[in-house]
Amino acid sequence: MKVNEYYRPSSLEDAYHKLQEDPKNSLLAGGLWIKKMGLSVNCLIDLSTLGLNKISETKDEIIVGSMVTQRDFENSPIIKSLFNDSLAFAVREVMGVNFRNIATIGGSIMGRYTFSDVICGLLPYDVSLEFYPSQKMSLEDYLNYKGRLNAILVNIHIKKGNGKGYFKKVKTTALDFPILNVAISKVNGKYAVAVGSRPMVASLAHKAMDYLNKESKPDFNKAAELVLEELSCLDNMNASKEYRQDLTKVYVRRGLEEVSK
Amino acid sequence: MLVKFYLNDVEVSFDVAPNEYLAKTLRSHGIKSVKVGCNESSCGSCTLLIDGKPMMSCSILSASIEGKHITTIEGIQEEAAKIAHYFGEEGADQCGFCNVGLALTVYALKRELKNPSEEEINNYIVGNLCRCSGLQSQLKAIKAYLKEE
Repeated sequence: MKVNEYYRPSSLEDAYHKLQEDPKNSLLAGGLWIKKMGLSVNCLIDLSTLGLNKISETKDEIIVGSMVTQRDFENSPIIKSLFNDSLAFAVREVMGVNFRNIATIGGSIMGRYTFSDVICGLLPYDVSLEFYPSQKMSLEDYLNYKGRLNAILVNIHIKKGNGKGYFKKVKTTALDFPILNVAISKVNGKYAVAVGSRPMVASLAHKAMDYLNKESKPDFNKAAELVLEELSCLDNMNASKEYRQDLTKVYVRRGLEEVSK
Repeated sequence: MLVKFYLNDVEVSFDVAPNEYLAKTLRSHGIKSVKVGCNESSCGSCTLLIDGKPMMSCSILSASIEGKHITTIEGIQEEAAKIAHYFGEEGADQCGFCNVGLALTVYALKRELKNPSEEEINNYIVGNLCRCSGLQSQLKAIKAYLKEE
């Protein structure tokens, strides 16, 4: 990785102005993926000193600072108390503790990585992203946003609710990328289904969700078929398209059974 | 650029390049106990403690550690000797390359988790790979170390 300058901004405004100065300037969160990509960066803007590493809650939502590490996220009693601990579970299998102490929640989201456990784990919940300067959008809208968003992710807002969650990561070894991620929620009586690492970035299965939320006694096998109708799977070196489709059917059904108990 | 931090509780100041990683900085200043294995944020050989938390120094930019407390194996010599004793008792020490990083992770584990289950121990040390053994001997040694008052 080539870097000409390392910059510690004094405020979000300062960081934002530095980011606008040159398209080759880049924000630094955990920095793990920047290293792997071997990028050539003019100026790295370190966000670690701006107080974005806190988790707080209001009556209606949980607010996670973008620089909260994955390890602090999984250990947070506030996060654990939500949706039978399924949000923390979505982070718990990312590499080892010595990795998760570096990786940040914001960095995991902003990269829109196809293999991201964090994105898939958050997607079936009511999650919105707060950017500087003033801008807010849902996690799903951000994932569908074309191009680079020239703003700084400040907070991740997770709406509270009553319900359960399910998260399944399928992988061949403990430190491997996932072959498939499945995350399902049933919050305030409404189902949501997300499948990631297909191997594309996680998406919500809207057809299946419409079916599940319309029927009084939905057939979970049919819902799993609808997921596959909408969300395609592909081959890569980790798994074939057919294997991913079979896994999707099984884990979507199991997840729906789990959150319906 | 100049970076000031605490290395095993001693304030130090090093001149580092903006793209320089902590493992390289420390090794170039004589701290050879920091091992670099994969250099890809995977194997955990380069693990050290930053403000008491285990992290992989091959993936932390040196410029980012301003004001932080870095602990290498030299900073926990007494505990490291205890961990080494249990590793020896269980035959968990083969080539030894991964031991330093693992020992620092285990040291952090003992301070972070109270009475951890085997699953919690495995989850904590999974980021420290040993290519000689299957980590079973290490697991036995870690359990014995954790039982020690």
